[in-house]
Amino acid sequence: MTRYIVRRLLFSACLILGVSVILFALINAIGNPIEILLAERPGVTDEIIASVSKYYGLEGNMVDRYFTWLWAILRGDFGTSIIYNQPVSELLVIFGLETLKIQVPAILIAVALAVGAAVVAATRQYSRVDFGVIAGAMLGHSLPGFFVGIVLILVFAYWLGILPSYGAYSTRALLLDSPVADGLWHMVLPVTMLAIFNTATLTLLMRASLVDVLRQDFITAARASGLPERRVVFGHALRNAFIPVLTYLGILFGLMLGTAPVTETVFTWPGLGALYILAIQQLDYPVIMGITMVVTVMLVAATLLTDIAYVAIDPRIRLA
Amino acid sequence: MDTHPPSAALAIVPPQRRPPGIWRQGWFRFRRNRGGMLGLGLVCLVTLTALLCWLAPYDPNDQSAMLHGAARAAPSWAHLLGTDRNGYDVLSRVMYGAPTALAVGIGAMVIAAVIGVIIGGVAGYFGGLVDEALMRFAEFFLVVPVFIVILAVVRLFGIMVVGTRLESIPHLNLMAIIALLGLFGWPPIARMARAEFLRLRQAEFVEAAVCIGTTKRDILLRHILPNALPSLIVLIALGIGGAILAEAMVSFLGFGDPKAVSWGQLLYFNYEALKVAPWASLSPGVAIFLTVLGFNLLADGLTDAFNPRLRQ
Repeated sequence: MTRYIVRRLLFSACLILGVSVILFALINAIGNPIEILLAERPGVTDEIIASVSKYYGLEGNMVDRYFTWLWAILRGDFGTSIIYNQPVSELLVIFGLETLKIQVPAILIAVALAVGAAVVAATRQYSRVDFGVIAGAMLGHSLPGFFVGIVLILVFAYWLGILPSYGAYSTRALLLDSPVADGLWHMVLPVTMLAIFNTATLTLLMRASLVDVLRQDFITAARASGLPERRVVFGHALRNAFIPVLTYLGILFGLMLGTAPVTETVFTWPGLGALYILAIQQLDYPVIMGITMVVTVMLVAATLLTDIAYVAIDPRIRLA
Repeated sequence: MDTHPPSAALAIVPPQRRPPGIWRQGWFRFRRNRGGMLGLGLVCLVTLTALLCWLAPYDPNDQSAMLHGAARAAPSWAHLLGTDRNGYDVLSRVMYGAPTALAVGIGAMVIAAVIGVIIGGVAGYFGGLVDEALMRFAEFFLVVPVFIVILAVVRLFGIMVVGTRLESIPHLNLMAIIALLGLFGWPPIARMARAEFLRLRQAEFVEAAVCIGTTKRDILLRHILPNALPSLIVLIALGIGGAILAEAMVSFLGFGDPKAVSWGQLLYFNYEALKVAPWASLSPGVAIFLTVLGFNLLADGLTDAFNPRLRQ
């Protein structure tokens, strides 16, 4: 087990390094971003460009700069944002928390709902309820997230006027006595949008897995030993059916983080995705690198953790 | 004395009709799947719209509604889906978006399928170190946060070509998006191709082919590949829907091809006016939804048709 983990860790480190090299090379292929940003502005001389470039660590050849950047990253220094003129690490924490604030509840809600729906469907396989759950989940799985978001805004914010359509806080909340309630109120629509996709995907997976487990011999044995059906399903089947779902959670989390720019554009949510869009529009390259690295590391970590959990939970899996 | 030629003995057996091949068998099963047929219907609808987009009531670049103050007009008989904030007829724009969407989906998947089948096939057939190396390479692409990398590359590429000869190529940006979606989309196909080649390499009919001295090329291309295709087709159908959705999201964020008529682009231009002209955002949204749903259902039906063992 330890050897397996060490090997996976080494491979993950190589992966992350590889991504960083490729992205660094790509960003540098366009040349000095300062030159592009300041080009054709009146009064900009070569000296100004040189000194600004130096301030943001953009002088010298690419290989040297890569290693300087890598060394700094390893010490937790992500450089300085060009648009915010603020340490990137601070921005990552501020914006990252906002992103997690909608992503984590969406996944938790989805797991709870998906387990319920899957149990209802799988225990009545091929009934109308089952087909209804499958059809609904298929629909939710195919609905493009941003389209759901647009419809939600239209219905709940514009037509019914009961929920806020954008942002994480309202300005007047600073004056109100309940900023927490205001924040939660703003979270409702984005979390709903993410939860619909997550729930649908997890339900499809969970149902298929549960149907498969319910057909196995140990379930028949449990039933034959006289256990009530409720305990067979919840105690025996569900635990085993959860294994493939667990591995998918990491992938799902990665998918959600990867498409955060879309979610956060729809709801004007001040998270990492929105910051990323701003950064690539303005060529704020320390921020682009920082966000990509953070997301890659989280993705790799999620995959790694789920793989390890998979092996730890399921005794049938032998390590190669 | 028996002077019968051997053929005469065989001639007694009545000539049998050829048993249906995997594709025909698959179609028989597919036909019974209601979801799959619905998906096929939706995909046909999109394809038909793409082929007949020249029937659209207005030119996709006709902004004349702007001139007589009819931009953002609600749906009416003159404009069945209304006009958007740039004065375009929404229905015409949505219809002309269909060929773009299909070009993106099919183009990206052709690239992904070619890379995936070559890498997966080589890995599965030859095995050993080659297999190990290629699959690690595929894993690399699976962990990369594809969508945000594509966003950055599309933007950086857009800057890089400014002032070069490439700039004059029409739809360069769209082609770059298609190429990127293909370049990042092959790992699932490679994995499936590897598994199938690995399985089929040991199949009896392949052994038979080896025994009669078939060349390696023919074994790979004429015996193994056609039998691996049904499983791959499922992934390709899923991938087409995924690529269309990805392009729509890239365009929605404003990094699409400004000259191409695409659903995502339509959303990007009209999203800010959602409150005043919801039809201009909802119509392309519905188009994207139906297309993605169509390909997902089609893939689901194909899974049932070609891998009936997976679900009973």
